[in-house]
Amino acid sequence: MTIARFRVGALAASAFLVPSLAACSSDGGSSENATAVAVSSTADACELGATSAPAGSVKFTVKNDGSETTEFYVYEEDGTTIVSEVENIGPGTSRDMTVDLEAGTYVTACKPGEAGDGIRGDFTVS
Amino acid sequence: MFANFLIGLREGLEASLVVGILVAYLARTGRRDLLPKVWLGVGFAVAVSLAAGAALTFGPRGLSFEAQELIGGTLSIVAVGFVTWMIFWMARTSRALRSELEGRMAVAVAAGGTSLVLLSALAVGREGLETALFVWAAAQATGSSTSPIAGAVLGLAVAVVLGIGVYKGALHLNLASFFRWTGAALVIVAGGVLAYGIHDLQEARVLPGLNTIAFDVSDTIPPSSWYGTLLKGTVNFSPRTTVLEAIAWTCYVVPVLFLFWRSVRTPAPRPTSNPNPTPDAVSV
Repeated sequence: MTIARFRVGALAASAFLVPSLAACSSDGGSSENATAVAVSSTADACELGATSAPAGSVKFTVKNDGSETTEFYVYEEDGTTIVSEVENIGPGTSRDMTVDLEAGTYVTACKPGEAGDGIRGDFTVS
Repeated sequence: MFANFLIGLREGLEASLVVGILVAYLARTGRRDLLPKVWLGVGFAVAVSLAAGAALTFGPRGLSFEAQELIGGTLSIVAVGFVTWMIFWMARTSRALRSELEGRMAVAVAAGGTSLVLLSALAVGREGLETALFVWAAAQATGSSTSPIAGAVLGLAVAVVLGIGVYKGALHLNLASFFRWTGAALVIVAGGVLAYGIHDLQEARVLPGLNTIAFDVSDTIPPSSWYGTLLKGTVNFSPRTTVLEAIAWTCYVVPVLFLFWRSVRTPAPRPTSNPNPTPDAVSV
């Protein structure tokens, strides 16, 4: 019984941990030395503390100051290809999103209400 | 607080329904002795999710967006495999029941013993990391306001209560209806989980076509509304569904529902001379 239980436990553990470890080794964004950008999302505004950053790791701290659940996206210049996103930011909560950005132009978006194109802005990485 | 409540409800509902049906099934077939395996799987998934979520929220390293979508998407698709196994496992038990051989029914249930841990772990853990990240973010906000964490915990608690409700309700159905309706419900739930997994992989750009939309009813069914929450939380209905999601959902639900329906209506397995081998291969 103990052995069988251990074996099943190990199986279950590997089902969860293998993808997690693989993910970490590829590009788990480190927030050390990252450029910090504060974001405030409300019903009708998406305010960024800065709209530019040097190339490298950028840590967006997205605070939901509205009353609806919101999401935050960074798109490529085309405005459709997602570079990174964070969902389920409840009112009053704040979520960090660290992403490695190369030099170029990006589009940021807050999506209060979790639908639509969101409130967009440009973000420049030099 | 209401919006946080809805997120908690949405994230917890489907797992709670699947576990509720699973527990009812074991209770109805006289195999309550297997329940510890279910709770082991559930406990493991909750513990791993909370620990990983805490490490990512409070630790120095975050998880890249692609990695998180990849974990959610992969676990979802693996979970669909296990729920499908459960559906046909239940169908087999139902057939044994109809042939009125109690012994055969007990054997059919016993066959699934060890996979129960994985099934319950995946049902709860497939979106466990995202839920844990949400809960820890709400806990972190406690310094300025306790309403996010109260809403989150209340939402998850109501999800669990609804799962218990499904369990209690299922105890009152007659056994034939029980197998038919819980099985059919699980097919629809699993189809939704598959579409959800596909969407995660599309967001991570492992699969193409994120912006090729089959339909968008976000204006009629806003994701943040209570009914949008219930539809998302139970059958994973996405108001903005991609073509690939719609194809995957249809290609899963139509044949599986057909096979399941035929399976619970047929008293005994078909003879081996059946010219169409696919149903037998799936229902093993």
